[in-house]
Amino acid sequence: MITEIAPAPERVVSRQTRPRTRRRAWDEVPRWQIYLPLSIYLLFTLIPFYWILLFALRPAGSTSLVPWPVTFDHFEKVWTERSFGTYFQNSVLVGLATLVLTTVVALAGGYALARFDFRIKRAFMLALLCSQFVPGALLLVPLFQIFAKLSMINSLGSVVIAETVFQLPLSMILISGFIRNVPPSLEEAAWVDGCTRFAAFRIVVLPLLRPGLVAVGSFAFVHAWNHFLFALMFLSDQSKQTIPVGLNTLMSADSVDLGALAAGGIVAAVPVVIVFAFIQKWLITGFSAGAVKG
Amino acid sequence: MKINIRRSGRRTALAVALGSALALTATACGDDGSGTGGSKGSEGSGKGEITFWDSNGGVRTDIWKQVIADFEKKYPDIKVNYVGIPAASAQSKYDTAIQGGGLPDVGGVGTAMLAEIAAQGALEPLDGRLEKSSLNGRLSPGLLSVSKAAGGGDTLYQVPTSANNGTLWYRTDLFKKAGLDAPTTWSKFYEAADKLTDKGKNAFGFTIRGGEGSIAPALDAVYGQTGITSFWNGDRTTVNDPKNVAALEKYVALYKKDTPSADVNNDFTKMVAQWDSGTIGMLSHNLGSYQDHLKALGKDKFRGIPNPTMDDGTRVQVSNPVDGLGLFKASKNKAAAWKFIEFALSHEENSKFNESAGQVPANTDAAKDAWIQQSEPTKLAAEALNGANTKIVQLPYYLPDWNTISKADNEPNFQKVLLGKMTAKEFLDTLAEQLNKAQAEWKQQKG
Repeated sequence: MITEIAPAPERVVSRQTRPRTRRRAWDEVPRWQIYLPLSIYLLFTLIPFYWILLFALRPAGSTSLVPWPVTFDHFEKVWTERSFGTYFQNSVLVGLATLVLTTVVALAGGYALARFDFRIKRAFMLALLCSQFVPGALLLVPLFQIFAKLSMINSLGSVVIAETVFQLPLSMILISGFIRNVPPSLEEAAWVDGCTRFAAFRIVVLPLLRPGLVAVGSFAFVHAWNHFLFALMFLSDQSKQTIPVGLNTLMSADSVDLGALAAGGIVAAVPVVIVFAFIQKWLITGFSAGAVKG
Repeated sequence: MKINIRRSGRRTALAVALGSALALTATACGDDGSGTGGSKGSEGSGKGEITFWDSNGGVRTDIWKQVIADFEKKYPDIKVNYVGIPAASAQSKYDTAIQGGGLPDVGGVGTAMLAEIAAQGALEPLDGRLEKSSLNGRLSPGLLSVSKAAGGGDTLYQVPTSANNGTLWYRTDLFKKAGLDAPTTWSKFYEAADKLTDKGKNAFGFTIRGGEGSIAPALDAVYGQTGITSFWNGDRTTVNDPKNVAALEKYVALYKKDTPSADVNNDFTKMVAQWDSGTIGMLSHNLGSYQDHLKALGKDKFRGIPNPTMDDGTRVQVSNPVDGLGLFKASKNKAAAWKFIEFALSHEENSKFNESAGQVPANTDAAKDAWIQQSEPTKLAAEALNGANTKIVQLPYYLPDWNTISKADNEPNFQKVLLGKMTAKEFLDTLAEQLNKAQAEWKQQKG
């Protein structure tokens, strides 16, 4: 017999039940006092993006403030001549592999931190936190030597492992916070029903961790997608390089093709924007559920 | 639900931790050194694969790939693996490879980073190879002496491929409209900077480099105005000579008066972008941005001339970084690597490369080719570099601390000078003190 666990009732706060004083305060604020600062903030945020779009879409040499006539020459140039098609593919591979590895290992480590008690737990948590202060550049030479010994230089695997290792401490801390929020009694009920520890974790705990997993996974993906240093140092073959390295090669020592750079920037930014647009809801839930209460 | 694993897992955990630590230590220390700065490499068979790192990857990738294709056609038994490295990260990539392994056989090594790499013992001395080579006598003696000096003195660690030169780019359309002469002297330069400035219309006479890379252009302007021809007077630098202080005061006074106020953060990218897209009269950069100006402005709206002379026609300028190729000691196929260097420096290939890069060829035959006569900025730069009236102040690229002194240590101070928070004298005195100390240390190390 499997005990069904009813989902916790959502707390619905309707407009009618909202405290009277809060509603009055909200209603009394003139709309312009809300929308004007928000509009100014939005303008400051969007102008740089508009500038990137402008450079990417207007012809080279144009000084027009609107991208007209529109040209896709810069995109074609970076995608074909500058091999951004290959870089994009490599970045997707590195990003997804880091996401999967980080999430799986952080789940295991986070579960242990949340559910088990052992003597060096506090010291271990402290070590995890402290590892966040070590800059990646400091470990470049030892990491390079380790990967060279493992014949992993010039392999995307080296970047995935390095990115995962640097993502794990924060991810484990976050996941352990999310798991702590799941009452142990739910798992115990599943054990009573005959589940193994792993089955109970998979059937009962894992579904409740979805917001947390989205938060951790998206962070791992975005970090791996944007990170420049490891890809630069561990990958030499041009066909293995990733988008951040490709973007940097668009700036030479004394010349820069701004149109191509802007187009490359858009190619680099679009996947991240799409990822965030889809996961925004879970991300916010995840952070409010785990990170704050952690 | 808390599970205590103190007793049961303690020994296992300890063993795993110790094992991991030992494995990592063994892995880190057990490197055989191949490909690191310390390994000696070998001549090899002169066939097989070699790796070439282009330290200015991206923009130069296409032309290097052409050179490599030509090379592989001539030497079908040698394959060159091209690796393009972003220019801004080339030094750190070399440093990591020197310490950790994985150095290439041949690499692009500019004079700005030569001293640091040579000081770590990673580069092969090239004097002997050049002496026996078909290139002997065909490379610019001036550039060879710059390469030698930048490597620390008597040994050649870099074969120069191209020379760059400080160039004053100016908008011919704006000058014509204002009835101004070409800014060939410093007096004409300052006059034009004033006349072309109309802040109400967002028009400025000049754009000054206040951010990253600001020190060399500032020194170029200073020595160019004063006519002091040597960077050293004995063991003391001339950088804070009272004449230089006065020249710097005059130069930085242009900031905000005749330049945009945002110039305090100008690196070359911002500086070139705002000159190409706005209404600024003059820009001091090097030959490298020629193609950017051409694309943005078209060939009729601008000219590039060497930096201004003194009123009597004397031209004094600081030495610009020289691009070149280095052969790495760790290479296990030095014979093939040297063949590649020789080939890249041959008349035809060096000419082809520099025509694409818009720089002055190091191969003296290539420097006489027709394309140079048709590319005015390059032609004028070549004439200025070799002109009888030109005096070149050699910047101390050979000091291993030069990059730190001329970048991290003093770029923020130059910004303070522009913002009026530090005087030109204080700035140059600080710079001089650091340079004198670095020079003394270098001499001591050299014995």
